[in-house]
Amino acid sequence: MSPEAVLLKPKLSPTEHGARLFFLACAVVALGQMFLIMLFLFKESLGLFTSGTSLKEFFFSVNWYPTYDSPEFGSLALVVGSLTVTFFSTVLAAPIGLSLAVFLACLAGRTTREWVKPAVEMMAGIPSVVLGFVGLVVVAPLMQDILDIPTGLNVLNASVILALMAVPSIASLGEDALSAVPGEIQDASYALGATKWETIWRITVPAAMSGLSTAVILGLGRALGETLVVLMVAGGAAQIPHSIFDSVRPLTATLAAEMGETAIDSPHYHALFALGTILFLLTLAFNLLAYWLGRYWRRR
Amino acid sequence: MVDDGPIISARNVDFFYGSFHALKGINLDMAKNEVTALIGPSGCGKSTFLKLLNRMNDFVPGARLSGEILISGRSVYGPDSDPVSIRRLVGMVFQRPNPFPKSIYDNICYGPRLVGVKKKCDLDIVVEKALLAAALWEDVKDKLGKSALELSGGQQQRVCIARALALNPDILLMDEPTSALDPIATAKVEEWIKSAGLSIVIVTHNMQQAARVSDHTAFFYMGELVEFGPTMEIFTRPREVRTENYITGRFG
Repeated sequence: MSPEAVLLKPKLSPTEHGARLFFLACAVVALGQMFLIMLFLFKESLGLFTSGTSLKEFFFSVNWYPTYDSPEFGSLALVVGSLTVTFFSTVLAAPIGLSLAVFLACLAGRTTREWVKPAVEMMAGIPSVVLGFVGLVVVAPLMQDILDIPTGLNVLNASVILALMAVPSIASLGEDALSAVPGEIQDASYALGATKWETIWRITVPAAMSGLSTAVILGLGRALGETLVVLMVAGGAAQIPHSIFDSVRPLTATLAAEMGETAIDSPHYHALFALGTILFLLTLAFNLLAYWLGRYWRRR
Repeated sequence: MVDDGPIISARNVDFFYGSFHALKGINLDMAKNEVTALIGPSGCGKSTFLKLLNRMNDFVPGARLSGEILISGRSVYGPDSDPVSIRRLVGMVFQRPNPFPKSIYDNICYGPRLVGVKKKCDLDIVVEKALLAAALWEDVKDKLGKSALELSGGQQQRVCIARALALNPDILLMDEPTSALDPIATAKVEEWIKSAGLSIVIVTHNMQQAARVSDHTAFFYMGELVEFGPTMEIFTRPREVRTENYITGRFG
């Protein structure tokens, strides 16, 4: 008779078992929290569509007149405002942040790196209200004077300040990704007669592509979710911008400015939750994009 | 340049890492198209000497050299020699297989592309020749587009050999090339070394390997070149007591 096969399973001591349960509970709480926030957002958003605003109007109208006698809740101008400043801040921040990352990881000497890296990371800790203030009292008047435009509170100003915020995190994450590239393959490149530049561009940067793209997308996500800076320097006009010198009113700024002024359960209140839902979905999309790009480059 | 002259000659080479005297007065001539093994206990200077031959020690902060090294009659450290052109002349295979995270094809083409070979048809020829020379062509000819990282360790090491050969180097340096490989992969790489007919300098911890693959053997100890001669002689009747003690396993 052949012996029965036994399922092999590690035995946990009571302490280990307790620890396991504890960490499981933490994970469940975190997930549950996330789920409840989503539920709350969606539920509160629904109120807008039961109070006379159609989905089509909400998503495709550019008229955001929440306090008119017959209010209009079109989110398109706000969404476009958010995406515009996010786009231009990324266009500014990505090249600068990535160049800084390459400099720190591949070109700077030990001493330089020891000074510059903490300084860059400290920049990431500057409170956004301080940067917003700089945008308000320094950048805006300067822009108005130099470019001779009606207002310095516009897409360009917000993009510049947001880029200032994103550069340190892109540089820091990017430097980590570049430094994680094994020295062995860089040695192999040198041993084949490659110069330092050739090694950086053909080996180090491509090998770090996964981390570098994640760094950029996370910087982009940060710009999208940043509130105070855009509230202070984007100008606050709910319109589709025609140039980078037009004012815009991003989603986050709208939420921050109007949430305190609305009556609970009014259509305006529900409309703001619906904006929150859009913001949530956009952020989710960027995070998924970061995840997907990271995987794509790792597979190559 | 005399054709029958030594392919590598070291003249009074002293080498320092900061204040550490890593190589002391090395004089050595290596013959063309032979396999030379460098043996000795850890820290004896054999890897340091190997890396002097393609200037990979240039990256070490505080590294200093005196004396002269000639490869094919050209001064490696002379005032008008530059590391990049030396490294195109002297290929290197490392201790652990280190293929680039690229396709097999792109791995082999890396060197040739650096020197400006661009046409697909030229590159195709280079790839086939290099892989044939590294005895890997039959294994990979149908999957050149696949990532080199998907190959086994032994195949990866032969990709690295092929990658170095694609530049037609005068000399191939191998720094313990089988220490990360299993016995079967090791045997294949050793077989390749013996049949390659190239000028090869190999550092190894494994004395049987040195005995199996090399024509000449150099024994390093504490930064000195203790003995250098035909491998048969070194292993059967060494002149120096230290060599004999090392190869019979009394220290090391």
